[in-house]
Amino acid sequence: MRYIRSLAHFIGRLVRIHRIFVAQEIKRMVEYKADFFIGMIGFLMVQCSNLLMLWIIFNSIPTLMGWSLPEVVFIYGFSLIPKGLDHLLYDNLWMVGSTIVSKGEFDKYLTRPINTLAHVLFEKLQVDAIGELVMGIALICSVLPQISVEWSFGKILLGLVSMFFSTYIFTGVKTLTASVSFWRKRSSNIITLGYKFANFTKYPATIYNEFIKNLITYIIPFAFTSYYPSVYILTGDNPLFNVGVTVLVSVLVMGSGVIVWHLGLRAYESAGS
Amino acid sequence: MKRRFRIYYPFVNAGMQQVTTYRVDWIFYLLGNVVHSLVSFFIWQAVFLSGSEETLNGFTMPQMIVYFFLIFISDTMITSDASMMIAEEVRDGSIAMRMLRPVGYNATFLFFELGGKLLTQIVLIVPVVIGVEISRFVLSGVVQFSVLNLLLFFVSTILAYLINLFFSICFGFLAFVIKHIWGTNIMKNCIVSFCSGAMVPLSFMPDALKTVFMLLPFASLNYTPVMIYMGVYQGADLLFYFGLQIFWALFFWALSKLLAMVSAKHLTVQGG
Amino acid sequence: MIEVANLRKEFKKTIKEPGLKGSLKSLFHPQSEQVVAVDNISFHVPKGEILGFIGPNGAGKSTVIKMLTGILTPTSGKCTINGQNPVVNRKNYVKEIGVVFGQRTQLWWDLPLRETYGVLKEIYEVDDKSYRERMAFLNETLDLDSFISRPVRTLSLGQRMRADIAASLLHSPKVLFLDEPTIGLDVVVKDNIRRAIEQINSQEQTTVILTTHDLADIEQLADRIVMIDKGKNVFDGSVRTLKSRYGQMRELNFVTESPHPAETLRYREQFHFAEDDVSVECEGTAVKVRFNSAVVPIADMLSYTLQTVQVSDISVKDADIEEIIRRLYMQGVE
Repeated sequence: MRYIRSLAHFIGRLVRIHRIFVAQEIKRMVEYKADFFIGMIGFLMVQCSNLLMLWIIFNSIPTLMGWSLPEVVFIYGFSLIPKGLDHLLYDNLWMVGSTIVSKGEFDKYLTRPINTLAHVLFEKLQVDAIGELVMGIALICSVLPQISVEWSFGKILLGLVSMFFSTYIFTGVKTLTASVSFWRKRSSNIITLGYKFANFTKYPATIYNEFIKNLITYIIPFAFTSYYPSVYILTGDNPLFNVGVTVLVSVLVMGSGVIVWHLGLRAYESAGS
Repeated sequence: MKRRFRIYYPFVNAGMQQVTTYRVDWIFYLLGNVVHSLVSFFIWQAVFLSGSEETLNGFTMPQMIVYFFLIFISDTMITSDASMMIAEEVRDGSIAMRMLRPVGYNATFLFFELGGKLLTQIVLIVPVVIGVEISRFVLSGVVQFSVLNLLLFFVSTILAYLINLFFSICFGFLAFVIKHIWGTNIMKNCIVSFCSGAMVPLSFMPDALKTVFMLLPFASLNYTPVMIYMGVYQGADLLFYFGLQIFWALFFWALSKLLAMVSAKHLTVQGG
Repeated sequence: MIEVANLRKEFKKTIKEPGLKGSLKSLFHPQSEQVVAVDNISFHVPKGEILGFIGPNGAGKSTVIKMLTGILTPTSGKCTINGQNPVVNRKNYVKEIGVVFGQRTQLWWDLPLRETYGVLKEIYEVDDKSYRERMAFLNETLDLDSFISRPVRTLSLGQRMRADIAASLLHSPKVLFLDEPTIGLDVVVKDNIRRAIEQINSQEQTTVILTTHDLADIEQLADRIVMIDKGKNVFDGSVRTLKSRYGQMRELNFVTESPHPAETLRYREQFHFAEDDVSVECEGTAVKVRFNSAVVPIADMLSYTLQTVQVSDISVKDADIEEIIRRLYMQGVE
C-alpha cells in the first residue's frame, strides 16, 4: 500500500512537472514564432521529398512486391505519427547525445530533485515535428478512399493504442542510444544510427530479405512502429501479434532504456577539470 | 606550396584527432550511413523485382547497386558542417574575428574537415569498392572495374566537396537575415539530397527536371562523380562535367568571398 | 556538517598519437591510462562556516565539488553532508544544497528571469507562502527587481550571476556550493556579490563552500582554507595560519632616479637568493622587490638598497595572501 501511494506521488509529480515545462516551452515558442514555423516547413519538405521518390518509383512499376501505392502510402503515413509524437515530445535526448553530456551541461540535471530522465524528456518541445504529424495524418486520410478496409470501433481503438505504444519504441531506442554518451561522452551518431534503422520501416517489411526483416522485428524492433500495426488495420489479421506484441515490445524497449540510463548516470564524468 | 602545406598540416592532423577522440561515435556515423544506403538498396531491389524489364530508365540491377553504394561514398565525402558553424559565428558575433585571422580561416576549416575525411575514406573506400565490384561480377559475369575511373571519381568527389563547402559557407551567411538557421538547414539538406540524385537517380526524373538539375550545381555533388565511376561519361562529356564542377566550385568560392566582404561592411556599420 | 574522508577519483584518459599513422593506430588500438584527479582528500566543515577551496588549474577542485554535489560518483572514499551520502539518495540530498557554477547558468535562457523562479519553485516543491517570503529576501539581498522581467539572455554577466545565486538559494539550502562565483566580473560587482554571500551566511547559518581564483574572495569571505594540488590536500587551516606559516615574504617598495635599478642592484648574486626567493619589478621609477625575509633580514635588504642606489620614498610591507599562494602553487608544499 505504501509503495502504491509513493508511486502515485511520483507519477503525480512527473505529470505536474511536465505541465510546467510544456507551459514554459509554449511561452518560448510565442517569442520565436517564425523560427518554429521554418522548422516545421523543413520537416514537411523532407517528407515531401520521400513521397516524391515513392511517386517516381510507382511511375515505373504497378506494385511494389504486391503492395499498391495507397497501401505503401498508408504504412508510410502511419509511421510518421509515432515518429512525430516522439519527435515532438522527447527530442531533447538528441541534445544529450550531442552536447549536453560532452560539454558537462548534464551537471544541472543531477543537482535537481527530479528524476534526470524525466527532466531531460520533459524539458523541450520540438514543434518542428508538427510537420511530420500533419503529413502523417494527411497521408492516411488521403488514401482511405482507395483502400478497402473494414472499419470497426475496436480496430480504430487498437490502431490508436499501437500508435501510442510505438511512440515509446522510438523514445526507448533513443534513450538507450543517448545513454551511451554517459560512457563515451558523445553518442549523437549512435542515435542517428538507431534512427536510420527506422527508415526501413517506412516501407512494407516484406520487400526486405529475411535477415533484415528479422533484424527490424526482433533486434531493433522498429517494424512494430508501423508495419505490423498497419497490417492489422489493412487486413484485420492476427491482432494478438500485430498489436499485442507492439505493446509488449514498447514496454520492453522503454524499460531497458530507463535501466541503462540509470546505469549510465554512475559512469557520467562531467567535463573540465 | 610546401610552406602552405606546413601551415595547414596541423589542421589536417587536428581533424584526424577529432575522429579518434570520438572513435566509437565515428564508427557509428559510418554504420549509420551504411544502413542508410542499405535501405536505398533494398527499396530499389524491390523495385527491380516488381518490374518486368531488365533495365529501368537505363539502369540494370548491378548498375543500381554500384550507383547507391557509390552515392554512399560521395555523400560522406561532400558533407560539411560549414553552414551551421558560420551561422553560429554570425549569431555570437565571432564572425568579425574570422576577418582578422592571419591564416585563411576558410582554408583552415577545409583542411580540418579534410583530415577527418581522409581517415573516413581510407576505411570506407576499399571494402565498398571491393564489395560493389564483386557483386557486379557475380551478377553480370564481367569484370568492369577501372582504376582510372576510380581515380577520376576521387578527383570528382573532392571537387564536389569544395562546391558543397563553399555553398554551405554562403548558406551560413543567411544567418544574418534568418534567425532559425537550423530549420533552414534541414530544408537545404533535403533539397540537396533530392536534387543531387542521392535519393533517386536523376535519369528516373522527368526530362525537364533532369536537365535543370544537371546544369544547376546539384548534379555536380553526387550524380556526376558516380556517373564518372560507372564510366557513363567519356571523352568530351567527361571534360564538360569536370568543367561544370570546376565552374560551380569557383562560383561559390567567389560568392562566399563576396558575402564575407558584404558582411564585414555590415558589421562595421553596426559597429561590431 | 560536511565530512570528507579519503576521497578519491580516477578517470580513464585516452592517449592520442599525432599524424595519420598515429590516428589510424588509435582508431584500431586505442591506448588509455588511468589518471588520478583526486587522491585521498579528507576535510571537515562545521555548520555555518565559509570554506575557501583553492588550488591551481587542474588541481582537482571541480572534481571534489562535483563529488560533493552528487554529480560524480567517487572511485573510493566517502563524503557525508548533513548525514547524507550524495549519490545514494540523490533526489533527497539535492533539496538541501544549492549549487552555482560560475561558468554555466541554470536559468531559462530565452524567458524572462521571473519564469525561472516559477519553475524552480515547482521543481523544489516550495509552497506559495515560503516562496513569497524567500523572493522578498533574495530581492533585498541581491537586488533582482530591476531586471526580473527581462529575458535571461539580455542580462549582464553580473546580473546573471546574482540571478543564478538567487536561483540556488530559492529552496533555502543548508549548504551552498559556489564554483567561481566572481569569474569575469568587475570590481564593484564582485564586491556586491561577496557582500551578498556574507549576508546570507550570517543570517541563515548557511554553510558555504567556495572555489575561486580570485584570492580577494578568500581574504574577504573565507573562515578557513583548504588547498589542494595535483589531487592532494596540501593545506588546511585558517587564513592567519597560512600567513604566519608561509608568510615570510616581504615587499620592498621604493622610487629611484637611477637608470636600470635591477641590473645595478643584483640582489640574487649579492645575497645568494634561490630562484623563488626574490623578484624585482620596475615600473618607471617605481621598483617593487619581493623577497623572503627568512633568507635575508629586512634590515640588510634596506641598508644594501639605500647604499647602492639613490632612493626616495622607501617602504616595506607584508606580502598579501596572493603572493603566498603564488609561491605555494609554484613550489608545492613540503
